[in-house]
Amino acid sequence: MVPGLELRSGEDSPRAALSMARGLLALADPQTAGLWPRASAFLGCRAMEATVQRLWERRALDHRGCPMRIQLIFLRSYLGDADLAGRAGHAWSALSRACHHHAYELAPTATELQGWFSVVESLIEKVD
Amino acid sequence: MDPGLRRIVVSRLEADGALAERWGPLVLAALEGREHLEAQLKGGSASPRPVEPHASPAPPGAFLRSVSVEGFRGIGPARTLELTPGPGLTLVVGRNGSGKSSFAEALEVLLTGESLRWKDRAAVWRDGWRNLHHSTALLSATFLVEGEPRPCVVSRRWADDASFELAELAVDGDSGPHADVDSLGWTSALRTHRPFLSYNELGSLLDEGPSKLYDALSSILGLESLLEAQGALQEARKSREKALKDATEARDRLVVRLRDVDDARARDVVAAIEGKKWDLDAVEAILGGAGSSGTGAVETEVLRGIAGLEPPDPAAVADAVNEMRQAAGALEAANRTAAARSRDAAKLLEAAVAFHDAHGDGDCPVCGREHALDRAWNKRQRSALTRLREAAREADAANERAEVARQRWEDLAILKGESLKHAAEVGLDLSELVEALGVWVQARAIEDLEDLARHVETASRPLREAVVRLRDAARAELDRKDDAWRPVTAEIGSWLAAAQDAVRRAADLELLKPAEAWLKKAAAGMRDDRFGPIAEKAAGIWERLRQQSHVELGQIQLTGDGTRRRVVLDVTVDGVAGAALGVMSQGELHSLALSLFVPRATLPESPFRFIVIDDPVQSMDPARVDGLARVLETASKDRQVVVFTHDDRLPEAVRRLDIAAEILEVTRREGSVVELRRSLDPVGRYLEDALAVAGTAGLPSAAAALASSAAHVVPGLCRLALEAVCMEVVRRRRLTRGEAHAEVERSLNEATDLTRAAALALYDDVGRSEEVLKRLKGEAGAPLAETFRRVAENAEIAPNEAVDVVRLSSKLTAWFRGLN
Repeated sequence: MVPGLELRSGEDSPRAALSMARGLLALADPQTAGLWPRASAFLGCRAMEATVQRLWERRALDHRGCPMRIQLIFLRSYLGDADLAGRAGHAWSALSRACHHHAYELAPTATELQGWFSVVESLIEKVD
Repeated sequence: MDPGLRRIVVSRLEADGALAERWGPLVLAALEGREHLEAQLKGGSASPRPVEPHASPAPPGAFLRSVSVEGFRGIGPARTLELTPGPGLTLVVGRNGSGKSSFAEALEVLLTGESLRWKDRAAVWRDGWRNLHHSTALLSATFLVEGEPRPCVVSRRWADDASFELAELAVDGDSGPHADVDSLGWTSALRTHRPFLSYNELGSLLDEGPSKLYDALSSILGLESLLEAQGALQEARKSREKALKDATEARDRLVVRLRDVDDARARDVVAAIEGKKWDLDAVEAILGGAGSSGTGAVETEVLRGIAGLEPPDPAAVADAVNEMRQAAGALEAANRTAAARSRDAAKLLEAAVAFHDAHGDGDCPVCGREHALDRAWNKRQRSALTRLREAAREADAANERAEVARQRWEDLAILKGESLKHAAEVGLDLSELVEALGVWVQARAIEDLEDLARHVETASRPLREAVVRLRDAARAELDRKDDAWRPVTAEIGSWLAAAQDAVRRAADLELLKPAEAWLKKAAAGMRDDRFGPIAEKAAGIWERLRQQSHVELGQIQLTGDGTRRRVVLDVTVDGVAGAALGVMSQGELHSLALSLFVPRATLPESPFRFIVIDDPVQSMDPARVDGLARVLETASKDRQVVVFTHDDRLPEAVRRLDIAAEILEVTRREGSVVELRRSLDPVGRYLEDALAVAGTAGLPSAAAALASSAAHVVPGLCRLALEAVCMEVVRRRRLTRGEAHAEVERSLNEATDLTRAAALALYDDVGRSEEVLKRLKGEAGAPLAETFRRVAENAEIAPNEAVDVVRLSSKLTAWFRGLN
């Protein structure tokens, strides 16, 4: 175990997760060959979930029991930007889909992931 | 000319008894080419090209060992697709945009220099051929050719700023380096046995039109030389028909023109050519001008005759008149002189001497003197006679001269009677001449030479003028006719040449037509013979691909020729013959295209032992994909089959049906960094990846991103593995049971998370999710159940647990696989 490299919920965890996700895309490390699509999808998903979680914390709301899908619907009211909320909903759906095995589907492409990650980034900016 | 083909044609000719016909050799000549055909038609047999004793051997078979791509389409840094060079099935799986198609296109561009995908489209499609992130562009492929120990490498390289066409091609085969693909003997095979089949091609082949499809299929039959021969015969026939038609049209125009020419020659020509059958010899004669019996010629003769008349020459007239006068004078003088008397006296003495000679000496019978006639008297008289005769001669001479002078007037005007007789027929007026002649010939009656001289003098001038005028009129008429006639002669001449040529060549038509008809029939027969086995194979493939399709494919036939050539697909829908292609779905159309082209690409004559199919699955439903998998399996028994596909349908079918195949996965990162790796089944792959990530958690040298993300990524990948194995179990169980693909897929879609998927796997019922954990605890054991729970809940794990989690997940997947 490498100290300091554990991932814990912290102030900068969504950003960290997102930058790690992006790093997997950008860095052509042979060790990550072939597995980076799913791995970065997991991280992206995590980043989004953590960001939404942060929003609820700021608003002193407890939505932890709610399914993410429902939380994202709430987002529209609380985010103050309906368009971004809608895009966030789509991006999460897609990322989440990538985090599960579906019949015949292959992992997402770098282009798709980049698109979703930029939505996550916008969301992080908005929430912060 | 393929000697085998020639043999077949000869045997067919023999069987039809056509070799004995005069047009039989034309067919064979046409097979050798246009020049031979023309030579044969000109007369006699051209020496036939010596038949090659051996057909050029088919090139040895080639397998694909690797394809390397750099800086081309979606691939940036160089990547190599490694393949097993031998019969077998390889699937290359990757999302659209992952670079997988770039490999397929690269191979196509490498061998053919172009991609059908871009070929007939706007430049825009091709302009993106270079990869955006990488400036060096290089394609190469390695082939293993049967019988050659050294592999053959084909490569294309571009300078950094070169355009697409300026590739440097290098071929390095067993026999050393070459500069083009021709040296491999693959050029025609690339066309007829094209080993690349792409989604676009498959789609467009049936769209492009019946004649294109026909061409694509008929090209494999190797009957092009027949087509060329047919073309040669047709061309020969058409050129002759056209020559004749042109000559006829020109004739029509010429006749119209000639009718405007007021000349009997023109009328004669018209008479010769206005009918159906042309008398070209007559025309030639008319043009030549001589010996024709037409009225025109006669007229000309008459005019020429008259034009050649000589009027009395004034000098000659004067001379004759002068002579006449002098002769008259001499005559008169002679008459006045003793010459006349002497002549008369001589006559008398002649008679006397003759008397004496007859009766002897005696008295003079005239004056009575006795013994006047005796020998001495005879002698005296004879010498007197001589004197007298001499004197008489002068008188004679003067008389003769007078006679001669008299005759001269006749010589002054010699007018040939023949032409003049017909003068009226040619429109000339003789009245003046007749009058003058009438006066002239009065000379005949004049006795006195002096009078004659005077008469000749006066009458000669009017006569002369009349003749000159008549002659000039004739000449003018001749010129006029010539002016009308001369320009037309050139036209007639050139038409004549063309007409003669056309008529002569048209004689060939009666041979060309049956030859053409026979060859057309024979070619169709040979085409059907050769295509039959291929059509059967195609129908067989279709049967396997059609699955639940209502469309049944019967016979596939190539029919027609020229613009009407097309492929007839005997298609019935639910037993009703239909407008086949119109009722078929996209997927069915693709299947049909595949059915037609897989046989083509796998014919024994093809030097390519590999076929590369790009995205055949696109529009196929899962049931048909199973059929496709089986078709590919069959083809891969003696061919290297490489299939590119953009999702997991085909790999899944291949795995489930236990078809031996190698599966490669392609992914593309930023910067067009493309990665290839062998793909095991998804379950194994996920676990392997999870292990890879878990293993890095403890390594200081690992990528920071990976190591610190282990907490999330590892459980995620394990969850994927478990979801996959549950789905695998469900699918296998249900499909083996005979359930329809569509049903199975629908159920699987209800499994939105791992627990539900497990419920399906354990109970075939998504609703029983709550029981899953309990069952696992009971049957699989607590550790596995706990792992299941954590993974299903997407919990974070501590990095040091990562490896254990993977290990346990692996065991769990094995457990699931062991179900029923």
